[in-house]
Amino acid sequence: MTGRPTDLLALEGFGFTYRRASRPAVRDITLTVQAGEVLLVAGPSGCGKSTLIRGINGLIPHAYSGTREGEVRVEGRAVADLRLRDLADVVGTALQDPARQIVGATVEAELAFGPENLAVPREDMRERIRDVFARTDIGHLAGRETANLSGGERQLVAVGGILMMRPRLYVVDEPLANLDPATAAQLLAILRRMADEGSAVVIVEHRVEEALGLRPDRVLYMDHGEARYLGPVEGFLDIADPALVKLPFDAVLAQARRRAEAAVAIPISSAAIPIPSATSRAIPADRPPRVAFEDIRAGYGEREVLHGVSARLGVTETVALLGPNGSGKTTLFKAAMKLIPLMSGSIAVDGDDTAERRVAELARTFGYVFQSPSAMLFARTVREELAFGPTNLGADPAELDEVIAEALVRVGLDAEEGILERPPMTLSFGQQKRLAIAIALAMRPRTLILDEPSAGQDHANATRFMDQVRSIDGIESLYLVTHDVDLALTHADRILLFREGRVVADGPPTEVVRDLELWRACNLRETSLMQANARWAPTAGGFVDAERLAAMVVGRREERELA
Amino acid sequence: MNFAPRYLGRGSWLARRDPRVLIVSLFLFVFTVVQIWDARVVLLLDLVALVYYRSAAIPWAGVRRQWAFVVLFLTLLVLINTLITGGVVPNYTGDYDVFFTLPILGTPISAQSLTYAGTQLMRFMAMTAMGFPVAYAVAPDAFGIAFRRLGVPDKFAFAIDLTFRFLPSLANDMQTTADAQRVRGHDWQEAKGGLITRLRNTTPVVVPSVINALVGAEDTIDAMDLRGFGTGRRTWLKHLVYDRTDKLVIGFFLVQFLLLTYLGFVTDISQIWVPQLLIDLANR
Amino acid sequence: MTAMVSPGNSRSTMWEVTSRVVVYSAIGAVLYGLLLVIQLPLPGTQNVSLRPAFGLVSFFGYAFGPIVGFFTGLVGNAIGDQLSGWGALTSWNWSLANGFVGLIAGLAPLYLARLMDGTIAQKALGGAIAGIVATLVGFLFIWTDMLIGGMDFNSVLITEYIPVVVGNVIVSAIVVPILVFIWAPIQERMGR
Ligand SMILES: Nc1ncnc2c1ncn2[C@@H]1O[C@H](COP(=O)(O)OP(=O)(O)OP(=O)(O)O)[C@@H](O)[C@H]1O
Ligand SMILES: Nc1ncnc2c1ncn2[C@@H]1O[C@H](COP(=O)(O)OP(=O)(O)OP(=O)(O)O)[C@@H](O)[C@H]1O
Ligand SMILES: [Mg+2]
Ligand SMILES: [Mg+2]
Repeated sequence: MTGRPTDLLALEGFGFTYRRASRPAVRDITLTVQAGEVLLVAGPSGCGKSTLIRGINGLIPHAYSGTREGEVRVEGRAVADLRLRDLADVVGTALQDPARQIVGATVEAELAFGPENLAVPREDMRERIRDVFARTDIGHLAGRETANLSGGERQLVAVGGILMMRPRLYVVDEPLANLDPATAAQLLAILRRMADEGSAVVIVEHRVEEALGLRPDRVLYMDHGEARYLGPVEGFLDIADPALVKLPFDAVLAQARRRAEAAVAIPISSAAIPIPSATSRAIPADRPPRVAFEDIRAGYGEREVLHGVSARLGVTETVALLGPNGSGKTTLFKAAMKLIPLMSGSIAVDGDDTAERRVAELARTFGYVFQSPSAMLFARTVREELAFGPTNLGADPAELDEVIAEALVRVGLDAEEGILERPPMTLSFGQQKRLAIAIALAMRPRTLILDEPSAGQDHANATRFMDQVRSIDGIESLYLVTHDVDLALTHADRILLFREGRVVADGPPTEVVRDLELWRACNLRETSLMQANARWAPTAGGFVDAERLAAMVVGRREERELA
Repeated sequence: MNFAPRYLGRGSWLARRDPRVLIVSLFLFVFTVVQIWDARVVLLLDLVALVYYRSAAIPWAGVRRQWAFVVLFLTLLVLINTLITGGVVPNYTGDYDVFFTLPILGTPISAQSLTYAGTQLMRFMAMTAMGFPVAYAVAPDAFGIAFRRLGVPDKFAFAIDLTFRFLPSLANDMQTTADAQRVRGHDWQEAKGGLITRLRNTTPVVVPSVINALVGAEDTIDAMDLRGFGTGRRTWLKHLVYDRTDKLVIGFFLVQFLLLTYLGFVTDISQIWVPQLLIDLANR
Repeated sequence: MTAMVSPGNSRSTMWEVTSRVVVYSAIGAVLYGLLLVIQLPLPGTQNVSLRPAFGLVSFFGYAFGPIVGFFTGLVGNAIGDQLSGWGALTSWNWSLANGFVGLIAGLAPLYLARLMDGTIAQKALGGAIAGIVATLVGFLFIWTDMLIGGMDFNSVLITEYIPVVVGNVIVSAIVVPILVFIWAPIQERMGR
């Protein structure tokens, strides 16, 4: 395939090796994208998706050093020969983290930034702002300060800033990572509309099931920097590994069926499939809950975020907190750790009121892993970093090495070469996240609190990670905040639905999902796995993950056919 | 803590002026004041500054603490200066009318040194009153364009806007870092150990704040490059035009500056003026 | 077609204002201003305190050049003054002095090129030296207080220059090398 001058975008054998890297991040990618087309790029973490994006929007070769192979053309012109300013007229890029990409202090300033740089006249800019407000339904944000926007609103404004430049090709890198499902759908609708109006869209996304809502024309599946598949969606759903990419349940099931037909016999029968049982971890009646929130109100400065929350989280439970962006999920756990003061109400930990206790004491009970792992890394080596907490709590220096080694083993970082002497900030994002957990574990907590453990991680990493955490002994309970509905439903014993600073539902997963109206009101979506569970495993007692459920369904049919 | 800029004077007469007016007036005023030592003229300038300050309608409750801090600190500064100079007034060649001599230090307190200290304080207060409206009565998103139109190059003017963009978000990140360390049993506010230990104790907060901001900046830089920043002439969405009132205000401060500069040369207003009353009191 | 690409990363571009310079300037200023809330009183004195944040002025200058350093000091000090209640422009000459500190630290390639190209320990040492030199020289500008505030020469020396410079030299000598030590490997890894 060679690019024709009429192609909006044409990659011919594109490859790139970063200056410090020993092997290429992307290798031999050839594809074209026409006006009006949507291309979804998927693949595991580190497979080179962002690198591909940089090749398209010109950051490679204009901002990154390394060795570049092949050619990238936009409207027939080589990207390498164009200035970024000229490229900006054709290609508009939205980066993954809107909090970092926004440069304006107000919504209007952010929208105007691009056109200002291209010296668009003022009147024209105003006209474009009106136009973007109209197309994206974000007009109600006019005049707001970007710092006070919720994560979801910020992402929409960032995309609005790209629309302002009226590019013919939209390139978006993991736009959904921190969004609640409803906001994610709103954003995808905007992109769909751009494609319908004749622009092309290249979107990178881990949340494949939701990204399919964009009705992509083709999918590029990458692994280790190479294209494994490029073609229509159906073919992709046939070949993608459900362990690595989160697929709609129907696709998982279809794959399982095909495998079953190909195999002579089914290796496992449905009876042998372990179903995680939610009821086995019941709370002993005599023990007080690990945390009890009694009608608490809390917030930042004058602003109340939690409006009277009462909840009890048990000693041996896995509890997931779900809810819209900005509903106060993170705030709730900050209050539990005494990081923000209560306006009213009280919190008891293991039966004792926390009013009398210090943060450092609570740290012995709770291992709190923040949303962003790098926020706490400061030391020169991983060893120093891990020793910091226990030392502050007065741990015996003689035991320190053992504690550190153990914590590293538990998060699977021990195999990493020379890990103890590595500077923590040079670890990859996923590794930093695991180090953050090791840091919490080194303080030997009994309960682990995880804020967004899966954000920005691929499907395989996210699930593996959750499975590992649950098997760590010494950890009695696990509380997590997440936007990944399926992850929460399949791993938690109990779900707390949060909305506008209040708990609106509380119960086992199977019960909470019954009120679909409430579910949607909390910006959540009915996933294909939920539908499948309702249809195939209404009696399983808990939620079954996609692969197990598919195996069960196929197994049952086999049994029926045998009988 | 909320670190968002506080636009307290919103909607006031002064806030409705072109932001350049506030900046230019402040500098014209400061360059005027520094030439004047005659307390009578300084008092007039104090009045001008007061009227100007009032036109910004900054609610007293919002800046009470700030004023208390400024007044306290300036008073201290002036007192210490008096002590260190040994009661000698710079550029004053006349006699001193001494009230008494401070025990131990031996500093003579005279009508002249008191006048000097008082005038010094009045000058400081005038400059502070002129400075507050720049901080509280200019819309935060107007600084960039204001400096741009005052001749600061595009990129620096934009850097000022970007500063306002980063202020609240980096403040939040810093709070998160401090929180994350408290969860690990570390509190930089705890006073323990020697000075160097305590200085090192702040690194768990300072280092992640700095490094994370720099690492995060990579995306910001990409986002700016991708939208063509700094590749040529740029326009600004916000538009500034001086109206007649704006011109009158700047005109007033310009005339005041020229007039007093001239008077400084032909009269004694750049020398201290000691009230006869003080001299009489000292000689009693 | 294979091509080695390495967009601008030479030292001759000390005065070039790229997006990077603009973003680092803003970040430096904000961090300096915010972190000024951390003050450690110097024992035996009343109004002198160590301000760990001051290390940022020299660090940003040393690591990212004179323009970033200047902006960090100038605007950062104004922000710090504003947040403490002093008023952003009340002591604009002090802000300028801070700016000069950053600027002079940013000129380090002119007087410390050897150390800057050396091992990480040498780089850190260079940072400490640049920080100390810049502090000693940059704060000479506060003698403008004689003109603006009618202060006496000795008054400036004793009540302002010496206390400020002593505290800030200690801070620069400790904080700048720490930051260089941590930043250098990260910058290397990000290596654009
Ligand atoms: N600036 C850089 N310098 C050197 N190596 C890099 C750089 N950016 C990425 N890499 C490496 O290139 C490879 C591909 O990275 P890339 O960011 O493109 O992956 P990705 O598919 O976007 O992953 P994710 O889903 O985690 O965002 C990885 O091995 C990564 O470590
Ligand atoms: N440090 C802070 N200062 C002021 N307001 C804050 C702060 N942190 C959060 N908020 C506000 O409090 C509200 C709740 O925030 P919180 O972080 O608890 O939401 P969340 O449910 O965790 O959202 P997300 O899913 O996006 O992480 C939001 O409106 C947010 O803007
Ligand atoms: Mg990526
Ligand atoms: Mg959150």
